[in-house]
Amino acid sequence: MSSVPAPAPPQPANHVNTNQAHMNPLPPSVFTLPQTAQLEALYTIIRDKNTSRGDFLFYSDRIIRLLVEEGLNHLPVVKKTIETPTGSTYEGVGFQGKICGVSILRAGEAMEAGLREVCRSVRIGKILIQRDEETAQPKLFYSKFPPDIKNRYVLLLDPMLATGGSAIKAVEVLMEQGVPEERIIFINLIASPEGLTTFTSKYPLLKVITGWIDEGLNEKAFIIPGLGDFGERRYCV
Amino acid sequence: MSHPDLTTGIERLVLGEGDKATEVAALPPKKNTVLVSHGRPPWYGEDGQRICDAFVIGVAGGSASGKTHVARQLVKKLGSIPTVIILSQDSFYRYHTPEELALAHANLLDFDHPDALDMPMFAACLADLKACKQSNIPIYSFAEHQRLQETKYLYGATIIIAEGIMALVDPALRALYDLKVFVQADSDLMLARRIKRDVTERGRTVDGVLDQYLRFVKPSYDNFVRPTAAHADIIVPGSNNDVAIALICTHIRQQFQDRANRFRAKIAIPHLYVPPKSRSGTSSPECKLEDLDLICLPQTPQIQGILTILRDRTTDRQDFYFFADRLATLLAERSLEFLPFVSKTVSTPMGVDYHGQEPDLQYLCGVTILRSGGALERGFRRVINNAPVGSLLIQTEHETGDPLLLQAKLPDFVRQRHIAEKAWVYLLDGQIGTAAAAFMAIRVLLDHGVQEDRIIFAAFLIARTGGISVLRKAFPKVRIVCAAVDDRISEGWIEGGAKPGESNRTKVWLIQPGMGQIGDRYYL
Repeated sequence: MSSVPAPAPPQPANHVNTNQAHMNPLPPSVFTLPQTAQLEALYTIIRDKNTSRGDFLFYSDRIIRLLVEEGLNHLPVVKKTIETPTGSTYEGVGFQGKICGVSILRAGEAMEAGLREVCRSVRIGKILIQRDEETAQPKLFYSKFPPDIKNRYVLLLDPMLATGGSAIKAVEVLMEQGVPEERIIFINLIASPEGLTTFTSKYPLLKVITGWIDEGLNEKAFIIPGLGDFGERRYCV
Repeated sequence: MSHPDLTTGIERLVLGEGDKATEVAALPPKKNTVLVSHGRPPWYGEDGQRICDAFVIGVAGGSASGKTHVARQLVKKLGSIPTVIILSQDSFYRYHTPEELALAHANLLDFDHPDALDMPMFAACLADLKACKQSNIPIYSFAEHQRLQETKYLYGATIIIAEGIMALVDPALRALYDLKVFVQADSDLMLARRIKRDVTERGRTVDGVLDQYLRFVKPSYDNFVRPTAAHADIIVPGSNNDVAIALICTHIRQQFQDRANRFRAKIAIPHLYVPPKSRSGTSSPECKLEDLDLICLPQTPQIQGILTILRDRTTDRQDFYFFADRLATLLAERSLEFLPFVSKTVSTPMGVDYHGQEPDLQYLCGVTILRSGGALERGFRRVINNAPVGSLLIQTEHETGDPLLLQAKLPDFVRQRHIAEKAWVYLLDGQIGTAAAAFMAIRVLLDHGVQEDRIIFAAFLIARTGGISVLRKAFPKVRIVCAAVDDRISEGWIEGGAKPGESNRTKVWLIQPGMGQIGDRYYL
């Protein structure tokens, strides 16, 4: 087990953040993907209720990969000099710090395949959080983490950030494990402005990478226009 | 789509340098043949434009006069011409109406009249091939007496031999020939050959053959075929014609030599524009990065880290493979942002409408430049799962340094000209150093009718002082997307000889600092 890397100051994201249609200004810890026509077309496919499961899987995976790539850009790198096969020296950078994924069950699991395509054989912890019938508050039902999680950067995975309730609970659990707030990166596909406000005011140092910020929540706390229940569409149950 | 067993199917034979003569002599006597020897050298200038047409020979003469034999002897005697297509007029019989079809099956349809042939289509196909474009020629089935739905794709010939009894009849066809040959044989000799052939090979009776001969073949020859001898540049006897064939070959070689002398200086060999080693590292004014109009991925910490791993000589193959795929995925995502999009409204499961976008294109395909372009293919597949992917094998000839097109396996979207004109093509190669392969690949796509501004070229690495500036000038509308731009390119040696028995080292152009030989590191 290597030593704990110093919680380096977060690296700035390179992309210009343009998704401010439903939230302006964005909290400083929130980053979106570059809002290109192509990205919008991907979202159009996965939002369409007539999209087949195969297409839903393929196109949501494309977005997840881009989100993970963007999330990883917030990890520290160090200068590294190497020799190329042509005999030249090259001043590059090396990745620093160990990472792990933590998915919030069940929908968060759907993002694991995309994560593994970018981070080969990454360790993945799991958290099950459900609404307590009596208190109507999110309650931790189950969690399983890599033993050295407090030494790692954590990519927290949950596709939809609606009210932010379960995400806040998940971060609470991670911090109880000794993971500092600034070493958690929360990755989701679609976020509501309400959820982002609640979440970032509670954890202002924690980076949130979101693909798209939607209009808001309906009376049942579902994201509008959203894409329905991500896990249901992904797993068809 | 290929029908190897059709009598009119075109066989494709790949011949080695040394064994050409024997192989050709042993060719089965099929009508349409594509002969390929070594690869095809550049056929375009440094401005990207084609510098010469294919050389077209028309061979006419009576039925059984020996046209096919003459065509084959020409190929045999010419030796190492890159690609020769022998195109038979038989492919161009018209599409028959049901009435004609009934006549044909009763052996009452006159196939020996010029009207039986689709001359405009013959001329159009030949004109395309002469202009170095692709052509999809019809396939005619003698068993069904009908033109089939399928077509046969042809591309990339240096010499085209069009043969058939009516080859010199149509003025539009005659205008396309660089050399017109008429094969002359006595009528009794042709009839004797015909009887022998039809009785032994086609199971006809002597009476039947004679009846057809007197009814159709003889009048056709007298009325249509024989008079076209007047258009011929040379009349070749139908037998004992070695001298005549030798004369024709000498003429063709002379023509080729003249062309080669005229065009040699113009041929695009981008590595000739690479500045000498001594000056490497200094930026010359003609290759400033901002003038090259390249689309480079944003140099995020992750991209820099991936590039460091890929450049590191100590990276093992497993890591190289993984990070190459990851980088290729990001290149594909960036590249495909250039596709056109239009508004689209969908209904979400929440019961609300969402006003989004969708790609506005019918045809998208990939073309990989082998081998190193293969390292970008998985990334493309992760982004586009249903696009056909073709390949081009382009290698450098070691003596001259010229690129050679060894094989073109293009997707149907590119082969069909009317689709190619609308298609978007994602062209993949590991790196652009001398740009010789990139140049050739783009020219192949343009030859097929793909529009320049619908080609997106993706590469991991580009050498700023390499052939990229020539490529940019020739094809300014092609979008070129890369992960990094390196400053220098220099000549170096790598292990692995071109031919056994030679030195174990091959001279190549190396991008510095570069990533080494991407194909080797990805595959070997």
